[in-house]
Amino acid sequence: MTVQLSAAQMKRRRQTRTRLLNALAYAVLIIIALITLYPFYWTFITSLESTGNIYDAKLLPANLSARNYAAVFTGTTVPFWRMAVNSLVICTAGVSLTVLLASLAAYPLAKMRFPGQNALFVAILTLMVLPNEAGLIVNYITTVKLGLLQIHSGPLGAALNMISQYAAIVLPSLASIVGLFLIRQAYMGVPTELIEAARIDGAKELTIWRRVMLPLALPTIVAFAILEFVAFWNSFLWARILPIDEDMLPLSAGLLNLSGQFSTNSRAVMAGAVLTVLPILVVFMFGQRYFMRGLEGAVKG
Amino acid sequence: MIGSKPAAPPTTQERTQPRFSLRTTLLAYAFLLPFLLLLGLYHTWPVLFGTYLAFTDYNIISPPRFVGLHNFQLLLHDDQFWSGVVNSLKYLLVVPVLQLLSIGLALLVNRPLPGIGFFRTAYYVPVVTSFAVVGLIWTWMYQQDGPVTFLLQHLGLMKDPHSLLNDPGSALYAVMFVTLWKGIGYYMVLYLAGLQGIPKDHEEAAMIDGASRWQVFWHITLPALRPTVLVCSLLSTISAIKVFEEIYVMTQGGPVGSTYTALFFTYSRAFQDFRYGYAAAAGLVIAVISLIFGAVNFRLTRGGRSDA
Repeated sequence: MTVQLSAAQMKRRRQTRTRLLNALAYAVLIIIALITLYPFYWTFITSLESTGNIYDAKLLPANLSARNYAAVFTGTTVPFWRMAVNSLVICTAGVSLTVLLASLAAYPLAKMRFPGQNALFVAILTLMVLPNEAGLIVNYITTVKLGLLQIHSGPLGAALNMISQYAAIVLPSLASIVGLFLIRQAYMGVPTELIEAARIDGAKELTIWRRVMLPLALPTIVAFAILEFVAFWNSFLWARILPIDEDMLPLSAGLLNLSGQFSTNSRAVMAGAVLTVLPILVVFMFGQRYFMRGLEGAVKG
Repeated sequence: MIGSKPAAPPTTQERTQPRFSLRTTLLAYAFLLPFLLLLGLYHTWPVLFGTYLAFTDYNIISPPRFVGLHNFQLLLHDDQFWSGVVNSLKYLLVVPVLQLLSIGLALLVNRPLPGIGFFRTAYYVPVVTSFAVVGLIWTWMYQQDGPVTFLLQHLGLMKDPHSLLNDPGSALYAVMFVTLWKGIGYYMVLYLAGLQGIPKDHEEAAMIDGASRWQVFWHITLPALRPTVLVCSLLSTISAIKVFEEIYVMTQGGPVGSTYTALFFTYSRAFQDFRYGYAAAAGLVIAVISLIFGAVNFRLTRGGRSDA
């Protein structure tokens, strides 16, 4: 025998159930957010303290001081400002060149017909699947053989050294297969009539690429550029393996040197870590929407 | 002219025209050239030359000396290599935990709750942070007098306070937790994308037919999510076997080799001992192992599909 409930009663029951479920959901959400964010918060508040029991679990800093931040910039032989500039140079060059190369190469693959098109596409796809374990080793050998780590002398020596060491860091990451696929996918959505019309009007291919393809693929390109910015800013292994000058290192790689040097003052390293994360968080906050879209596209595309 | 006739079949004249124009072909390759050059140098060449190096003795100074299968014979008897492989295989434990947690989390943040955007962002912060920073932060968190030890002691899970990273019994699991912590937001977003690609009407129709939430999840949501599960578990299986950066920053393979992974072995042989040929051979073996696990994973995740 079932008890007949009035419509109002049923509605109230459903509401209570939803409220309970939501409360439970929030509880779980908050606990996980604490687990993902507390380590960052803890590092931040500890970097603000000047004294006290350094590794203690805490919710608020025991005292406030900017001393550790000052130490990052002054009390060390690791040139923090210089490394920040290096990171900026590496990111700017890396992101713009990666986007340029991929958006150029994606155009014929999406919208031209030429012999070898399909074979090329399959070959590039295969490269993405093939394991690249020897990558680090062979790329290191290539970099040495290309003379990118040679010391130049003469009047332009210093400038040449800088350029070739930046090139050594950036070059291996410039051909992004994921980027090529993402942008190709975006180009495929551009109506062929639009390109045909431009061709009939006598536009050169380079003009079509710049005036038609790039603007229409812009959302994807921005998403990809943000992904690449994060990747370049965060990469450290390759730069650390290369035997380059210490003041040529990007921040992420240099931070580990800082930690080696400041073995007695971990708070200063924490300040350095906070300063290293900050730019990426700002980029992430602003580019979040694009960022997620790029990531989703990277898997679907 | 366009659209005046409904799609006429191609005439003989059109068929005999050359399929490709030379001008377009040259232009196409001009557009592709810079990308292909760098791709060849830094992606194709390493695969080819790396495979060759595996059969040589090479120290970068004198030319590679062909030694046949010698490197592989050495590997077979190299205890350090095998303990590295075992540690890398243990690392696979991360995969199912990571996938289950991120599917659960994706379901949770897929609900239209107020403020859900904040939570999605919060879970993603570790993903966009460098392993250099993440590794350092967790090294501090794990300190003997640090927050993790504090928490474990108060939960009654640890009697004598010590760093999990200094204990050979727990170091590998402590590093695995960091991989999990950093990866969960990444896979959550991918699953979220998968969830949002599922047509709403299927789930609603099932609900109206009286299916419970659990039944809807099990019979509709999960099967629809299968392609995403395949991609995600493949990605995380391969990256678990090749784990390196967190080890490099946090433990350097210690204590007493308890976190020494296969790729760490390769790194040490190449960049600490300068035995590039030997390192390349180890790299090749790891590549084959990860290919095998990739294939097994592919079979497993596809397994139920034929009867579904």
